Amino acid sequence: MTWDYIFVQVANGAVIGIIYALIAVGVTLIFSILKIVNFAHGDLYMLGGYCAYYFIALLGAPPLLAMLLSMATLFALAIVLERLLLTPLYSDATERKDEYGLIITFGLAFFLRNIAVIIFGPYPLKPPSFIPGVQHIGEMTVTNDRLFAGGVGIVLILALLYFMHRTIWGQALDAVSQSRESAAIVGINSRRFNSVAFGIGAALAAAAGALIAPIFSLAPDMGVLPNIHAFVIVILGGMGSVLGSIFAGILLGEAENLFTAFFPDPTRALAYTNAFGLLILMVVLIVRPQGFFGRRHLRME
Amino acid sequence: MSAAAELIRGVSLVKRFGGIVANDTVEFSVVEGDLVGLIGPNGSGKSTLINMLTGHLPPDGGEVVVRGHEMRGQAAHLYAAMGVARTFQLTQLFGRMTVLENLLVPGLTRPGSTWRSVVQQARSTLDFLKLTHLEQLHAKNLSGGQQKLLELGRCMMLEPAILFLDEPFAGVHPHLRDQLITRIQELHEAGRTFVVVDHDMESILRLSKRLVVMARGRKIADGPPADVREDQAVLAAYAGS
Repeated sequence: MTWDYIFVQVANGAVIGIIYALIAVGVTLIFSILKIVNFAHGDLYMLGGYCAYYFIALLGAPPLLAMLLSMATLFALAIVLERLLLTPLYSDATERKDEYGLIITFGLAFFLRNIAVIIFGPYPLKPPSFIPGVQHIGEMTVTNDRLFAGGVGIVLILALLYFMHRTIWGQALDAVSQSRESAAIVGINSRRFNSVAFGIGAALAAAAGALIAPIFSLAPDMGVLPNIHAFVIVILGGMGSVLGSIFAGILLGEAENLFTAFFPDPTRALAYTNAFGLLILMVVLIVRPQGFFGRRHLRME
Repeated sequence: MSAAAELIRGVSLVKRFGGIVANDTVEFSVVEGDLVGLIGPNGSGKSTLINMLTGHLPPDGGEVVVRGHEMRGQAAHLYAAMGVARTFQLTQLFGRMTVLENLLVPGLTRPGSTWRSVVQQARSTLDFLKLTHLEQLHAKNLSGGQQKLLELGRCMMLEPAILFLDEPFAGVHPHLRDQLITRIQELHEAGRTFVVVDHDMESILRLSKRLVVMARGRKIADGPPADVREDQAVLAAYAGS
């Protein structure tokens, strides 16, 4: 066991963690504005990956442009889905909003996954690399695609944080998440921000899907595990906390990767990866039930 | 009739909750420069009326007219855009934002505003409300009275044509209440129009130029405070008969 090995494992963990964070941050954003958990988020990530693939395969777009186009496409698609399916959440006539949100997004997840099998086929697809080649670190190697995914992921997260904290739209989103009524009396159309939050969440998931595709390939069920990870991360970070999701995403990526890399029996290590993530979740829930950055009261009036 | 422009009018407003008629064909109108006190026993329909006039509750019958525009079916944020501002009975601030940020949000959402000018306006509003020293505190950490002041400040940031204050004096320390009354009076002298709902008869009488009394979902008196105080129907409503 050398320092190179440790370094490469930490780097791989960070990249996966950043991808997790990109997905989870969208779940958090949607939760804090729409007050629902989007169980179809992993499937939007899957669609984002396929979208980028077909922009490359059919239109010949360069991979980075394909990723951006895929983000734009998913942003628009998510707004259509939100308008079509989630409107009853905003009506006072709807009585069981939590249950409605749960069932409708669960249904959407199955629909998207199965429609993907029909349209894209069940076989894994692999888009070309963003930047072909590898980097040598001592005797170990890291693919350029992983470094690229990590780098772009960080840029997107920083862009989101800038948007949230330094722009008028970000402030308005924050206002809506804290009090819908107050947002309305200061002239903010909270319906519009429901769409914006859902769209941004989907676009970030699409970016994650496009970034991960050259590393792990695309499959219709690729969203299932990241979906579970995203919920673990959102709970670890503290429901509704964007910073918490980023922190917990990277932590989970690192923890899983290092656990797998240093597990005594390498033949079994990979099979235990997910169990380890859930183990961390259980420990955190026992010690700090509100999550790392969590607030005790989630529901705003 | 004075020549002052009519800012808001409720025409035959009706609101029912189940079998209870909370507002029964209420006529209510406010002209520019008015300072209206709206009083009535608990459950008389004051808050329901305000909620309908500010777009927070759709009327079952009748119509709200804001500066000549019929508002039927519009969402609350459009009332704000038309210059209708309000506070809530239970203060509704952005609790996890600082005092300053609470004022920046309404300023920034106004079309054509710039960050610098809004910050300047927010600072002078805080100065006016004597809250400058609390600028960086989270709003949820303010006392009840300070929250009411900040909510008034948030309304002012919208530069509204008319302000509805829903029980601004409830649960406020007497010292801060006097401050609140002074601020409202200063703003009124500067030309702002107010509708103030409260149970605190003394404060309302000190403030209002016109007094409206509601009982059992109906408006039972409307006029100069001195006249309304002598009104037999009002005395009867308050005697609980």
